[in-house]
Amino acid sequence: MKAGYRTMFDKVFTVITGFAVLSMVIVLFVILGPMLHRGFGAVFFKGTVEFRKMQLAEFGHGGQEQVRAQAERTDAVRASVYDMIDNFKSGVDIEQLTDRAKDIHRDFGKELRLKEVPREQYTALRSLSRDIRDKLTDAFSSNSIEQIHRDIEYVLQYENDERFVGTAASVFFQLARQYQKAAAATDLDKRDEYAQELAELEQIITELLGRGPAEDSSALAQFRYGATRWDQAKKLLHRLYWKEKWVEQSPKEHLATESSRSLVRTEISRAEQFAGTELEPLFGYIGDNLDKMLEPRWSFYWRYFIDDGTPGHYFGGIGPEIFGTLLLTLLSMIFVVPFGVVSAAYLTECTKEGPVIRIIRMSINTLAGVPSIVFGLFGMAFFVLFFIPLFGGPSKPCILAGSLTLAVLTLPVMIRSSEEAIKTVPQTYKEASLALGASGFRTFMAVTLPAALPGILTGVILSLSRVAGETAPILFTAGITVGPLPKSIFQTTRTLSYGSWDMAVGDKLSAQVPHNQFGMVVTLVLLILCLNALAIIIRSRVFKRLKGQ
Amino acid sequence: MNGGNTEQTVRPAVDFKQPLVLTFGQDIKGFLFRHLGRLALFLLTCTSVLVVFLIFLFVILEAFPFLGKFSIVEFLTSTAWYPEAHGEPEFGALALIVGSVYVTLAALIFSVPIGVLAAVFLSDIVPFRIRNIIKPVIEILAAIPSVAYGFFAVLVLAPWLQKYFGFATGTNALNASLLLSIMALPTIISVAEDSISATGRELREASYGLGATRFETTFKVVIPAAHSGIIAAIVLGMMRAIGETMVVWMASGNASQIPHPWWDMSQSVRTMTASIAGEMGETVKGSDHYRALFAIGLLLLVMTLMLNLVSEYFLTRARKSLGKS
Repeated sequence: MKAGYRTMFDKVFTVITGFAVLSMVIVLFVILGPMLHRGFGAVFFKGTVEFRKMQLAEFGHGGQEQVRAQAERTDAVRASVYDMIDNFKSGVDIEQLTDRAKDIHRDFGKELRLKEVPREQYTALRSLSRDIRDKLTDAFSSNSIEQIHRDIEYVLQYENDERFVGTAASVFFQLARQYQKAAAATDLDKRDEYAQELAELEQIITELLGRGPAEDSSALAQFRYGATRWDQAKKLLHRLYWKEKWVEQSPKEHLATESSRSLVRTEISRAEQFAGTELEPLFGYIGDNLDKMLEPRWSFYWRYFIDDGTPGHYFGGIGPEIFGTLLLTLLSMIFVVPFGVVSAAYLTECTKEGPVIRIIRMSINTLAGVPSIVFGLFGMAFFVLFFIPLFGGPSKPCILAGSLTLAVLTLPVMIRSSEEAIKTVPQTYKEASLALGASGFRTFMAVTLPAALPGILTGVILSLSRVAGETAPILFTAGITVGPLPKSIFQTTRTLSYGSWDMAVGDKLSAQVPHNQFGMVVTLVLLILCLNALAIIIRSRVFKRLKGQ
Repeated sequence: MNGGNTEQTVRPAVDFKQPLVLTFGQDIKGFLFRHLGRLALFLLTCTSVLVVFLIFLFVILEAFPFLGKFSIVEFLTSTAWYPEAHGEPEFGALALIVGSVYVTLAALIFSVPIGVLAAVFLSDIVPFRIRNIIKPVIEILAAIPSVAYGFFAVLVLAPWLQKYFGFATGTNALNASLLLSIMALPTIISVAEDSISATGRELREASYGLGATRFETTFKVVIPAAHSGIIAAIVLGMMRAIGETMVVWMASGNASQIPHPWWDMSQSVRTMTASIAGEMGETVKGSDHYRALFAIGLLLLVMTLMLNLVSEYFLTRARKSLGKS
C-alpha cells in the first residue's frame, strides 16, 4: 500500500474515533436538553390569574385580597365575552330558547294561581299564554325570516295588553324582541351548524377562562380552572382561532390504494365560520384582551418541590415523591453502609487471597450482575412474603421491604467503593500507627478509617444516586403511584422514579401537562447528577490531599 | 545537643509500672477477642454470599412448582404466551427470550463500534487533559437513571421516530435498542479503555518503530493484545442491556412476538424483564402465572450468571496476559 493511503487511513481513523466520542456528547445533550428545557417549565413559568386562584383554593398559597382583586379586574374584561356569546346564542340555540319560553309560561301560571284570579279568567289567560308560547316556539324553529317576523308580530300585539304588563309573561316580549333582532343578524339556514360550532367554541373558552358565571363548578380539580399558564393559554388561543380538520391528501391516491389512505392535518379559521354574525368581533376581542383577562406574570413556583399534587399531577407539585425517595434511599443506606464498610475492611485488611475469599469475591461480582428486576422478585419473595412476616410485620409491600431490597442491590457497589477507598490510604499511615504500638483494630479505627472516610463517603453518595434512580426493585416491594404520605415504614410510598414511569406511560391525564411530566423526571435526574457531582468533587479533593502528603 | 549534660534524667514516654509480659488470662482474652472479632467480621462479610444464595434459593423456590407442573420444553420453545387465558393458560416464553436477545444484540451492534472507538480515542489519541473533560460525560451517561432514559424514549424519541421514519408505532425494537446501546456504552468504554491503556507502551513503540501508522498500530497490535479485555467489556455491556427493565418496558412496545422478517426493527417486541415488570402486579400470589414469571426471572438470573462467568474468564485472562508482557 502506498504511504499516502496509509496516512489518509490514519487520519480518517482519528476523525472517526473522535466522532464516536462526539456522538456521545451529542446524545447527552439530546437527552438532557429537551428534558431540562421542559422540566424547568414546571417551576419557572408565566402564571395566569387562574393559576393564582387555583393555588389559593387548592393549596392555600397566596394573598386572598390580592387574588380577589385580580379576579374582579379580569372578570370585568371577561364579561363582554360572555355577553357576546349569550347574545349570539339567543338567535341560535333553539333548545335553550324553547326551554325559556316554557319556563315563562309555567312561571306565569304559577303567578296567576298565587294571585287567585277567577277561574274563567285563569283559563283564558293560560290559553293565551300557551298560544304565545307556541307561536314563539314556532318562530324559534323556523328557518324563514318572514315566518319569524309574522310570529313575532303576532306575539308582540299583546305587549301592551294590561293583563300582561308587570307580570311574569312580560318576559315573553323581551325574549321575542331579542330573538327578532338576533334572527335578523343570523343566517338562519346555518343555525344548526352554528350551534355545533358554538358548543366547541364554548368548550375552548371554558378551558381558557375557566367556568363562566352561568356554569356549575366542576368536582374534578382539573376542570375547575382555566388556563393556569400563559403558554397553555396561547395554545388554546390558537385552537380558538383555528379549527383542526383532517382531510385526505388527494382523492386520486386514495382511489389507487385503499389501504394507504393518508390524512393531512389542516386548519380552518373559526372567525371565518362565524363571519357576518354577532360573534365575529369576539375573536378580535379575545385576541386583544387575553392578557387583561388572564394577567400573566412570571412565577417561581418553588413549592413544586413541597406541594402534594392533584390526581395525575395535573396541578401541584411532587413533594410526596421527593419525600418517599429520600426516605427509601436513606433507609437503605443505613442498612448497607455498615455491611459494606465491614466487608471492605475485612477483604482489604484482615485476609490474604484464598479459596474462601475467592468465593466471597465471586459472590460480590455475581450480585453486581443480577438484573434489577430479579432483585425486585427476590425482594417480594424474601422480604415481603417471608422475612418481614417472620418478625410479625405485615406481609405486603412496604418501605422497609423496599429499602432492604435496595440495600441488597447496592451492596456490591458499596463494598467495591469502600475497598477502593481503604486501599488508597497510604501504607505508611498504617505502619506509623503499628510502630507506635497500636493494635490492628486500633490502627484501622483511628488511622485507616478516618483517612478512608471521604472515599467511603463518595461511595455512599454514588450508591445513594444509584438507589434513588432504581425503579424495578421497588415495583413490587414499596412503590405506588397514587396514595397518601406514608406514616410509618410499614406503608407504601410514592417515589420519583416510579412516578416518572407513571407520568410517562401509566397516567393518561398527565399527558396533558407536559411541564409536570418533565418536571418530575428532571427533578430525579438533577438530584442524581448533583449527588454525582458532589461525589466527584469529594473524590478529587481527597486524591489531591493524599497525593500531596 | 545535650551531650554534655548527662546528669539530667530523661523521662521515659511510657511509664512501665507493669511488666510487658501478659498474664495467661490476658493472653487468652486477647486471643479470643482477636479471633472472635475476626470471625464476626468474616460472618458480616459473608452476607454477600448469603444474599446470592438467598436470591437463588427464593427465586428457585417460587419458580419450582411451575417447572414441575408445565413442560420446560414448551416453556422454552413455544411462542404462545397467554398466561391469563381461561381454561388452559399457555406459557411459551420463546418470544420473550427472543425479544430480550434481539434488543440486546441490536444494542450491541450500535454500541460496540462506538464504544471501542471511543475507548481507543480516550486512551491513545487525546491528551490526558481532554480525556479528563470527556470522562464526566461518560459518567453522566452512566448515572442517568434508566427510568429517565425510558421517559426520553417514550415522550421524545418515539414521536420523532414516528414522524421522521414513518413507523406505525414509535415504541418498537429500534427505539429500545437505541436506548439500551446508550446505556451499555459507559460500561463498554470504561472496561475497554482500561484494558487498552493497560497494554504496554513497549508494544506501541515497537509498532511505531517498525513504521506503522496509528491506525495500523491500533488494529494490528493494540486491539489484538487487549482483545480479552474488550471481549469482557462487550459481555459486561451485554449483561447491562439484557437485565435492563425500565427502558425496554417503556420503549419496546410490549407486543409478545418475534419480529418477522427478522431485520424489521420497526416492530414491537417484548422482553423477559418487561414481562415480569408489567405482569407481576396483576397476578395472584402463588398462581401459575406468578410462578411462570419467577421461572422467567430464574432464566434471566442464569443467563446473567453465565455472562458473568464469561466476563470473569476474559478479565482474568486479560490480567494474566498483561502480567506476562
